[in-house]
Amino acid sequence: MRKFSIVLLAILFCLLLVSCSNQDNAEIAKEEIVYASSKDIRDINPHLYSGEMAAQNMVFESLVINTEDEVEPWLAESWEISDDGMEYIFHLREDVTFTDGEKFNAEAVKQNMDAILDNEERHAWLDLVNLIEENIVVDEYTYKLVLKHPYYPTLTELGLTRPFRFLSPNDFVDATTRDGVDGYSGTGPWILTEHNENQEAVFTANVEYWGEQPEVDNVRWKVMPDHQTILLALEKGEIDLIFGSDGDMIDLDSFSALEEQGKYITEMSEPIASRAILLNSNRPITKNVDVREALQYAIDKQSIADGVLNGTESVAPTLLSSTAPYSDLGLEAREYNPDKASELLDEAGWKLDDSGYRYKDEEKLELSLYYNSDNAQEKTISEYIQHDLREIGVDLHITGEQKQAFLDRQKSGEFDLQYSLSWGTPYDPQSYLSSWRIPAHGDYQAQIGLDRKVWLDETITDLMIENDEAEREAMYDEVLSYIHDESVYIPLVYSRTKAVHRPELQGVTFNVSQYEIPFEKMYFEAE
Amino acid sequence: MKRYIIKRLLSVIPLLIGISFLAFILINLSESDPAEVALRVNEITPTDEAVAQMREELGLDKSFIERYLTWVTSSIKGDFGNSFINNKPVINEIVQALPATLLLALVSFIIIVVISVSASIICTIFEESWIDRTIRGLVFIGEAMPGYWIGLLLMWFFSIKLNLLPTSGMTSWASVILPGVTLALAYISTYVRLLRNNMVQNKSENFVLYAKARGMKKRIILKRIFKNSLQTTITALGMSIPKLIAGTVIVENIFAWPGIGRLSVAAIFNYDYPVIQAYVFLMAVLFVACNLLVDIVTAMLDPRMRKEV
Repeated sequence: MRKFSIVLLAILFCLLLVSCSNQDNAEIAKEEIVYASSKDIRDINPHLYSGEMAAQNMVFESLVINTEDEVEPWLAESWEISDDGMEYIFHLREDVTFTDGEKFNAEAVKQNMDAILDNEERHAWLDLVNLIEENIVVDEYTYKLVLKHPYYPTLTELGLTRPFRFLSPNDFVDATTRDGVDGYSGTGPWILTEHNENQEAVFTANVEYWGEQPEVDNVRWKVMPDHQTILLALEKGEIDLIFGSDGDMIDLDSFSALEEQGKYITEMSEPIASRAILLNSNRPITKNVDVREALQYAIDKQSIADGVLNGTESVAPTLLSSTAPYSDLGLEAREYNPDKASELLDEAGWKLDDSGYRYKDEEKLELSLYYNSDNAQEKTISEYIQHDLREIGVDLHITGEQKQAFLDRQKSGEFDLQYSLSWGTPYDPQSYLSSWRIPAHGDYQAQIGLDRKVWLDETITDLMIENDEAEREAMYDEVLSYIHDESVYIPLVYSRTKAVHRPELQGVTFNVSQYEIPFEKMYFEAE
Repeated sequence: MKRYIIKRLLSVIPLLIGISFLAFILINLSESDPAEVALRVNEITPTDEAVAQMREELGLDKSFIERYLTWVTSSIKGDFGNSFINNKPVINEIVQALPATLLLALVSFIIIVVISVSASIICTIFEESWIDRTIRGLVFIGEAMPGYWIGLLLMWFFSIKLNLLPTSGMTSWASVILPGVTLALAYISTYVRLLRNNMVQNKSENFVLYAKARGMKKRIILKRIFKNSLQTTITALGMSIPKLIAGTVIVENIFAWPGIGRLSVAAIFNYDYPVIQAYVFLMAVLFVACNLLVDIVTAMLDPRMRKEV
C-alpha cells in the first residue's frame, strides 16, 4: 500500500510539473503565432507543387502581386509593356537580398526563370510558361521577358503563389530546381528555420527584409491531422489560429459553433471561388439541354446556403461571381422554381407516372451524382440536391468516392452530375477557363457533348492571346454566355476563406488567393 | 527443440511469399492508375504524354510478374521504392516514423500490463462482489467505446478541463500519456477478463486446497494462483504487440503523433502506393515474426506443443 501511495504521489507531482511548463509556454506565445494545419509544409521548393502554398508564400516572393484591385509592383518596382503585348520590361528593386546574402538582381531572376522553363511539362496547366520565347538580363536591375504571343494574364500569372517565385540560385542543384533544392533561401518576410517533418515547422521573421517587418518573431506551423484535435487545441490555447478554405481546416458547423460561443474571433473573406454542379452534356439523359435547364430551376440553392453552409456563403446566380474580371455580364439568374423545372421536363418528354418518378419511352429519369467522400459538406449538399430532384420526379443516385477515384471519374467523364469547384481568385476566370480545354478535367468531359465545344476551346485559346481589351471582353462574354445558356453548370454558392483565432491575435486578414495566409500582418494585442 | 525451430522457420517462407504477393496484387487491383495518381498528387495535369512518361518511370509498362519480382527483390534489400508524394525513399520515411510508434506501443503495453494485472488480482480477491463487477463493467465500457471518441474525451477532460496534459503532438514526455492510455483501453478488457477468469478457475484447483490446508498465507496462495494463470495471458499479450504497433492508426491521427500509423493513413488518402505496399508488407512480417516467437516460447515452456507440428 505504501509503495502504491508513493507511485501515486510521484505521478501527481509529474503532472504538476507538466502543467507548470504549459503555462510557461502560454507566456512566450505572445511573440509567436501558433498555427495549426492538418498538413505538413512538405517540400516548399517554390518551383514545384508538392509543398503547402501558404508556406511557400511566406518565404518566396514574386515580381508583382495580385491585389483586390489590380496587379501591383513587388520585387519589380515598375514595368513597361510593349504595344504589341509581347515584351515586358521589369525594373527590379535594388535593395533586395536573399536570406543567404545573395543579391537579388536580373541575373537571379533569369536563373529562376530558366529553372522553371527547364521543367516545362510540370507547368502545363499554366499558359504563360508555354508562351515564353526568351528571358533576358538587360542590366543588373532590368529584366526582359519576351513572349511568343501577347498574353493578357501575364502579370496576374507572374504574381501567383507558384511557380514564378524566387529562390537563391545558391540553392539550385545542377543549375536547376526540378529534382529538388539544397535550401530555401527566399526574399520574403519569413525564414524557414526549423522543420520537423509531420510535426511542426518554425518560420522566423527575416530581420533583413526589404519591406515592412513582420509584427511577431515566429510562426509555428503545427501539424494536426484531425480537425477535432485542432479545435480542442484552440480551446486549450495551444494554438492561436485556424485558417483555410473549403472545409479542409474547419467545417462550417464548428465555425458557427465557435462564432456563437463568442470566445474566439471568426473572420470571413470576400467570396473567392464558385461551388457548382457539372451537368454532363455527353450522357444519354443530360445531353438534352432542356433537361439540363430544368435541373437549374429544381435546386433550392438558398436552402443549401442556409441549411448546409449556415448562411456563411451567398447563393451564386451565375457560375462566376460578377466581381470576377470579365464576368459582370448581366446573365439571367435561374431562381428556384420547381414548377418551371417540371414544365421543362414535361416538354422534353419526361412524364410523371404514378410512382412519382418521370419516364420517357419506359426509361426512368435516373441520374448519378458523384462527390469527394472526404468532404462532409459535399455529402450534405448532395443529399439536399437529391431531395430537391426527387420533388420533380428525378431519381438521383449519389455516390461518395475517395479523392483519387473521384478524379479518375472526372477524367473518364463517367458521371451525369459531378461536384465542381472553381479555382478562385486570382485564377478565375483565366486559369479556370483555360483548364476547360484539358481532357483530364471534369469540365472538359461535361462540355464534350456541346455542339460548339470545338469553337469554345478555340475561343478560349484565342482570347488569352487577344491583345485588344474590348475584343477580349466580347470574347469572354460570348464564352460565358454560351456556357450559361447551355446550362452545363448549376452554380450553387460562392465560397469564402475562413479564419478562427484567439481574441488577442489581431490583424488577421485575407490575401486575394485563398491559398495564402498573411501572417506578416498579424500581431498580438499588448496586455 | 532445434528441429522444431528450424521447421517453424521454414514454414514461414511460403507464408511470406504469399503475403508479399497479396500485398502487391491488392494494390494492383485498385482502379486508379498509379502513374496518374503519381502525377496528380504533385498537381501535374495527367495528359497522355505525361502519363506514358510516368508509366515508364515507374516501370508500369512491364508485365505484372516482372514488376512483382522487381518489387520483391528490391524489398528484400530494404528498397521499397520512392514515395509518390515527396519522392523520398519509402524506407527512410518508415524508419523515421517507427520510433514514435514503438514508443507509443511500449507505453500502451506497460499500461495494459499494469492495469490488467492489478485489476484482475483485485477482481479475484473480491470475486463476485460489487468491486469485481464495477471493475469488469468499467473495463467493458472502456473497450466498447470507440477509440476515436474516447481519445477526444480524454483530451477534453485531461488537457482542457484539468489542464494537465498537452492535447497532442510529441513535444514532451507527457504527450505520450493520453495516446498511450487511449490505445491501451481497447486491450485492457480482454486481459482483465482472461486473467481474472483463469485465476478464479485456479482458485478451486487442488493445489490451492492443499496450500490452504497447509495453512499458507493468503498472499502466497494468491501469488501461486497468479503464476499458474499467466500462460494463456502471456501468449495473448505476445500477439498483441504487433496489434499494438499496427493498431496505432486512429490514435496517431487524433493525437498528431508522428508515427507509421499516420504515415499509412496519409498514404492511403493520397493513394501513395509504394508506402501502402511497404506498410502492409512490413506489418504482415511483424505479425508472422511475433507469432513465430510466441510459438517458440510456448513450445519451450510446454514440451507437449512441439509434437503437434
